[in-house]
Amino acid sequence: MRRRSILSDQAGSARVNVTPMIDVVMVLIVFYLLVGQLAMDRRAAIVLPASSTGVEETAQVDPIIIGITRDGERSLNGDAIELDRLEAQVSGMLARSPGTPVRLRADRETPHRFVRPVFNVLRDMGVGKVELVTEQRP
Amino acid sequence: MSEQHHASRSRPLRQRNIFGGSGRFGPNMTPMVDVVLVILIFFMAATTIAGQEWFLSADLPEQRDDSDESSGFDLPTPMLDLALFVDVGTIKVRGLGDQALNLEDVLARISGMDPTLCEGLILRLGASDEVPYGSIVSVHDVGTSKGMRVTIR
Repeated sequence: MRRRSILSDQAGSARVNVTPMIDVVMVLIVFYLLVGQLAMDRRAAIVLPASSTGVEETAQVDPIIIGITRDGERSLNGDAIELDRLEAQVSGMLARSPGTPVRLRADRETPHRFVRPVFNVLRDMGVGKVELVTEQRP
Repeated sequence: MSEQHHASRSRPLRQRNIFGGSGRFGPNMTPMVDVVLVILIFFMAATTIAGQEWFLSADLPEQRDDSDESSGFDLPTPMLDLALFVDVGTIKVRGLGDQALNLEDVLARISGMDPTLCEGLILRLGASDEVPYGSIVSVHDVGTSKGMRVTIR
């Protein structure tokens, strides 16, 4: 019985059929993108509050994203940060690119005692507006 | 014998088709399954990553306020000043009426307000330490839906 090989011998030429490999690689890439995103969300452990009103993303610049978990752990653009360093970091970012929107991603169960200090820090910096990220209510 | 061999040699090259040539009859499903899987995962990823997120805009007034108290009476118009607090495990709201109301009642009251009266009204929100962020957002949401401008203390 003739064995099948990855080398195609039709028409007398020997070529590797790469189509299945491309398929598999594409699936793997998409899989890792998906898992990476899910893992990031899980690491942040943030369940957003829902809202029936809101504004869709239109900003041309990357916003400054402050995350707060229900346990009060804070992050700046995905990296964990303490409150006392938050002001310096955000100030630096705003100095480099003024007008950058500041966005808050806080868990819906986060007690306000963890959120208020962030508002106060932003207020003290002169940030007059903050965008509260929510999940679209169906 | 040699004529037979010659005849098989001179036969035109077999054309490739979607049917497998190893004695099995039927279309080769493997490429289709691959493509369908990719499309499926793509849509799953798009649903997860792209979205369903948006944001509510909130003003941060210059005057800083660390307290959770609200008078609710001596307010400059047009302003609605609400303070959320937790009372025996229930979220209550002070500032709408004479006494504190349950959060659901306040949401219903604001939802029932005349939009023409709400337009331009400033909704100032404050909360005590234990109030969950989601409750503040729910009041913000209903206020925004009525055209109010929301600030958070």
